[in-house]
Amino acid sequence: MSGPARGAGLETMQGHYAGSVSRTAAYVIDAAVSSGLFAAGLALVSYAAQVVTGSVIGWSRQDVLLAVLLAAWQLLYFGYSWASGGKTFGMAVLGVQVVRADGMIIDPWRGVLRALVFPLSFLLFGLGFAGILVQREHRALHDLIAGTAVVYSWDARSARLRFLSRSRPSAAGDAR
Amino acid sequence: MPILGAVDPLDRLRCAGKRVTDPLESLAQSVAQHVVDLVVHAVDLNALLRQVDLDALLARVDVNEVLARVDVSALVDRVDVNEVLRRVDVDALVGRVDINAVAGRIDMDALVAQTDLGAVIAQSTGGMAAEALDAARSSAVGLDGLVDRWVGRVVRRRHPRPVAPPALLDAAGHGGTQA
Repeated sequence: MSGPARGAGLETMQGHYAGSVSRTAAYVIDAAVSSGLFAAGLALVSYAAQVVTGSVIGWSRQDVLLAVLLAAWQLLYFGYSWASGGKTFGMAVLGVQVVRADGMIIDPWRGVLRALVFPLSFLLFGLGFAGILVQREHRALHDLIAGTAVVYSWDARSARLRFLSRSRPSAAGDAR
Repeated sequence: MPILGAVDPLDRLRCAGKRVTDPLESLAQSVAQHVVDLVVHAVDLNALLRQVDLDALLARVDVNEVLARVDVSALVDRVDVNEVLRRVDVDALVGRVDINAVAGRIDMDALVAQTDLGAVIAQSTGGMAAEALDAARSSAVGLDGLVDRWVGRVVRRRHPRPVAPPALLDAAGHGGTQA
């Protein structure tokens, strides 16, 4: 658990602090995926209950139980993802990863802590996220509390090779 | 006087001398041949060669000059290359090669640009999906930089800030700060 994050230094930008656009896009994807999974889970439970009991279960937005379930699900989704590999589905898509503040691979407990304090950044109109823009290391409030940072982790070298392979035929065509 | 004028006294002297020197010359040749035979039989040539400093001798030979006279093509034509290769222990040969050092010399970008290796990589890593993912990530990274520069101007950031955490900076081996 204490080596530098995987794949560091392969190409320019890899291992650098991730910026606000990548992190926001990753969060939007995660919010959509986790909400979709939660809705699918509710639908599955409703269907199962209908099959077993014969009565339809209705879910209301004002339902406290629903809010608690949603919070628990979000905690599980983000906490497990960060604790197990340092990245959620959305972060994997955008090629960013949570690491320790010093760049080492994140400890599982830090992943869980990050998920627990993550809602704090939404308080005061999301002021906790301002750190991503203005803080020296692009660290939001929940990063500062959990001792984490977010860096680019995608294999830019493979991307470069793919780019070269795609550009080769057109370059040859231009030469003609 | 006419009789004396027709006879050259030196001619008679030369004829007399020749009659004496011819047998002597023949005798000397015969003696020399016997002497050489005796010496050759008496001398141990192997012992003599052992005393020769071959290294010093070879040092005086211009090998390049010798090789320049060799018709290498004709020489190679006489060599059965397959037979030579059958005698080569390829495993031992490869075992002596530092593959990592060889691979380290390869210019991957140039290799991919000149061969279909890139196409193989592209096919093996997801094709269109990978292409879309690369594009999305590249765009996001570009926008990250744009926003960061804009924010830097707004907040009038003066001091350079670290580009990566310390452990990743060490692993990447690059500079460390950006304005």
